[in-house]
Amino acid sequence: MKITVKLIGPFVQVFGFSEKELDVPEGTTAEELISLVSIDKSRPKIVTRNGRAVVPDEALAEGDRVVISPIYSGG
Amino acid sequence: MNGWTGQILRVNLTAKTFNKESFTEEFARKWIGGRGFAAKILFDELAPGIDPLGPDNKFIVALGPIAGIPAPNTGKAVVAGKSPSTGGYGDGNLGTRVAEQLRKAGYDALIVEGKAAGPTMLYIEDDRVEFLPADAVWGKGTYETNDWIYAKYGKGVGVLNIGQAGENLVRYAVVRSLEGRAGGRTGMGAVMGSKLLKAVVVKGTKPIPQADPDGMKKVGMDDLREVHRIDKEAGWSIQSTNGVLAWCNEVAALPVRNFRKTHHADAWKVDGERLNNARIATYGCPNCTMRCGITIHDDEGRESELDYENIGLLGPNLEIFDLPQVGSLNYLCDDYGIDTMSGGCTLSFYADAIDHGAVAGDYGFNDAAGSKKLLGMIARREGEIGNILAEGSMRAARKFGHGSEAYAMQVKGLEVAAYNCKFIPGMALAFGVSPIGAHHKESWVITFELKSTSRESYGPEKAQKVIDLQRIRGGLFEYIVSCRFPWIEIGWGLENYPKYFKLVSGLDWTLDDFWTISDRIYSMIKLFWLREYPGTDRKLDYPPAVWFDPANADTDGPIAGRHLEYDKYDGLLQHYYDLRGYDRRGIPTKATLERLGVAEEGRAAEKYGKLT
Repeated sequence: MKITVKLIGPFVQVFGFSEKELDVPEGTTAEELISLVSIDKSRPKIVTRNGRAVVPDEALAEGDRVVISPIYSGG
Repeated sequence: MNGWTGQILRVNLTAKTFNKESFTEEFARKWIGGRGFAAKILFDELAPGIDPLGPDNKFIVALGPIAGIPAPNTGKAVVAGKSPSTGGYGDGNLGTRVAEQLRKAGYDALIVEGKAAGPTMLYIEDDRVEFLPADAVWGKGTYETNDWIYAKYGKGVGVLNIGQAGENLVRYAVVRSLEGRAGGRTGMGAVMGSKLLKAVVVKGTKPIPQADPDGMKKVGMDDLREVHRIDKEAGWSIQSTNGVLAWCNEVAALPVRNFRKTHHADAWKVDGERLNNARIATYGCPNCTMRCGITIHDDEGRESELDYENIGLLGPNLEIFDLPQVGSLNYLCDDYGIDTMSGGCTLSFYADAIDHGAVAGDYGFNDAAGSKKLLGMIARREGEIGNILAEGSMRAARKFGHGSEAYAMQVKGLEVAAYNCKFIPGMALAFGVSPIGAHHKESWVITFELKSTSRESYGPEKAQKVIDLQRIRGGLFEYIVSCRFPWIEIGWGLENYPKYFKLVSGLDWTLDDFWTISDRIYSMIKLFWLREYPGTDRKLDYPPAVWFDPANADTDGPIAGRHLEYDKYDGLLQHYYDLRGYDRRGIPTKATLERLGVAEEGRAAEKYGKLT
């Protein structure tokens, strides 16, 4: 299934891309996706799926847009 | 008295007099400095009901025990007075060399009273105070005024100044500093202007009293290097505050088209990646090693320093998605001394009011040229429309009528910062209960709402989170006077601040001790509001009505069809009041005031409004 991954803020520079589409196996979870795109698991982050926060073991679905962002605090 | 100079400089512009006043150790420990000093002084010295743009208002510059001392990120000052935009307590903070220079001159605060006979620059050098003519730069923008001051005194002095907006009493005029910084969006620039005070210049040569100056110097310098290292590792300053724009767009929190929409397909054009790519220079405040000011060339080739708030409100909120054009609007606001946030919201209000037929006008969204023209008219109060918009969105809406109040995105008269809370209840509460109007500096809870609880919740956990952050952001950082960014953006530990406080004052305090101070100051400010608005009720703490309007709900995206609900918001507000020890109007109870050590101030306020 096709998933779009979008990185936010310094993650773009630190992890080397801004946005890309991935073809991943059915049932891939949010946590597995993070590993697939080589995001350092120790980095504090918030992951959203179609604009809503996800839990790590949540299974993704075809066409999802997953956004991985540092924890912002609103300036 | 280690940690404080123990002196306040009081200047009267009418009489051209000044005197140094000592304060007690008890006063210092009770109010600490910055916002604490400002709120206490304004409560004690301003008669309720005075005109904020009249000579009876006071312009205060207040510093804290670590302000100006090399440590992360202490180059900030608080400016305060009765707010021309809200009629309540108003303040703001900005990066400036005044923090260091005023303390080296021997003062923890400056109180400016009265009104000068003509345009004046106040020059303070240690014990000397001069009232100098400023006619040469009256009518000039802040950049030219800065250059004029530099030419006279060199770049090492501390400077606060205003542009044409402050001179012409635009209710959301800011104070600007030499570092390209602005503060006091509650109209503190207009308070200076009302006194014909164009600039304050400060030079100090004395040591700042400290309990352990050698220890503070070592710890401060080590920590500045460590903050720099952490920032480099985290990469925060690559996109700086504007990294959050793309995220707000993804989670439906971006102000678009006067907050009517929460996301836009073109938002990427003004996001942090594009800002970093366009960067020509980086600026920061004094004592900062994680500089946030990214400058670009605007569409007229000028250098414009941008951050998220001004991009959000002068860009997507006006449906302008061209970074150099946004830069140009930002440059004009900075030069005129207009608050970029309230300026952006007032323009978007006008476009929305025209769009909905509440008022006729030749202006609309996605109109950079029209926006530039209007900013100039506002700064000069030129023509009927410049004069009306200079009053801010709340007053302009009252003037326009025809239901246009619904389009004014403000709380208590202060326009909303760049977070669209159409369906973010906790952040809507943070704006609602901010003690100065809809400013994000007091509390920001959006990540918490999405990650640690649920966006839909109106539960007490959100009210508690707002309070926790008010104690830190609107409390500690505003009275110890230091930038909150090392803590909020790269996780610099809060435990460092009692450490710095001990090194300068010798006092061994816990964070809980500081939270009591924070609560005391918030209660104090509530009493200030009570005196000004004796009939006040909880409606004063409501966010803009449009966020509750089903007709304004998103039609697509993550919050399609969702909006705030009045009864649930009111319940959330009550959680906040209960946790704070406030009554149903949002006023601290007598028991709360007693517990926080402000019972005496409560009795003084009770002459104007009942306490329970």
